[in-house]
Amino acid sequence: MSTAKSVVLSCAGIGSRLGLATTKALININGRSLISWQLELLRDVEDIRVVVGFQANDVINEVLKYRRDIIFVYNHNYFETKTGTSFYLGARHANEYVLEVDGDLLIHPHDMEKLLKTEGEFIAYADIMSDDAVFVKIGEGGVVNSFSREIGDYEWTGPACIQKKKLHYTSGNVFNQLEPWLPMKGIKIRACDIDTYDDYERALKFIESWDY
Amino acid sequence: MMGKVKFIFDLDGTVTKQETLPTITEHFHDQSAIVELTEQMVEGNVPFIESFIKRTYILGKYPVDEINELLAGVELYQKVVAFIKKHRSDCIVATGNLRCWTSKLADKIGCEFHGSECTLENGAVKKLTTILRKEKIVEQMKNEGYTVVLIGEGNNDLEGMRLADISIATGMTHNPAASVLSIADYVVYQEESLCRLLNQLC
Repeated sequence: MSTAKSVVLSCAGIGSRLGLATTKALININGRSLISWQLELLRDVEDIRVVVGFQANDVINEVLKYRRDIIFVYNHNYFETKTGTSFYLGARHANEYVLEVDGDLLIHPHDMEKLLKTEGEFIAYADIMSDDAVFVKIGEGGVVNSFSREIGDYEWTGPACIQKKKLHYTSGNVFNQLEPWLPMKGIKIRACDIDTYDDYERALKFIESWDY
Repeated sequence: MMGKVKFIFDLDGTVTKQETLPTITEHFHDQSAIVELTEQMVEGNVPFIESFIKRTYILGKYPVDEINELLAGVELYQKVVAFIKKHRSDCIVATGNLRCWTSKLADKIGCEFHGSECTLENGAVKKLTTILRKEKIVEQMKNEGYTVVLIGEGNNDLEGMRLADISIATGMTHNPAASVLSIADYVVYQEESLCRLLNQLC
């Protein structure tokens, strides 16, 4: 079995808050689908697992344009469940360490590169940017001490990397999967979470600010 | 992690690169409705058993030995076969196809092999006696305490997949049947990703 970490891309959701009537992986970011940007950042990762649900066939067909060696994982209960479920399903038969990447996240390429090279477990967070953020509270040395819906130092965006054996079935969110294991190492990144239309417009500006 | 695992593979399009029945049709230059019947079955428009009975009736007149020889030469997904050989005692190939047409191919693959049965007369098929139902094998393996992984793509894999602990749809030769995708845990489109997943499940 490969010792490199698996990457789970959660793309099962219906994107209801965005109002573009399409799952977020397929939204257009500067002429390309969001998932194509993510796949480009993950080009050197062997084990990519894309979790699909809403518009599964469309997401699969889009991904196959770029890569055919993907393991697609179904979350058939996407309507009743959240990203924590997709993460569990995507990770349950993966390699020992699993990197969770939300299907609605744009990450600066340099920061993604850094995360892929980072050994062991961690939680990535960013400057507060989105409308509907979950916050992280940071302790000494940048460790993540807690998540909060109300207040915090930064925005929880993911990715997060954790050992597969620590994950259990949940109908909740990814941060609920991580909470029992806090405090965890934190890493600050430049990233943009797209939940609402305003987030989407911010993401378009964010991508323009990248200087490679 | 998962206890003892049994991998049950569909044959056509999962272990073999080609569909076997159309290969027979082509070999005998048979212009019958086989190809269309196979396509209709794979897409789920005609029930597997109905389609299989019709196809066997059409092809049953040809010499069994010649078909057996022909199918032994069908192109295989080599990485999948290598996985099966490495995990010989954990793998089963289950096909609706006739045992007498596929016994040489089965020897080549080299693991436990289940197919449909018939009686023979003058070296040709006389009468179908049993049509393999993959769900029966899944059930039996589960009763024996195995964690069952079923790998397939056609409508005749559907019930077995539903019962299996883990189901993997394969779109390596053609797209999996829509029915299969509505219940599968995984879908893969290349033998590399299939084998990676199989190794993760060991």
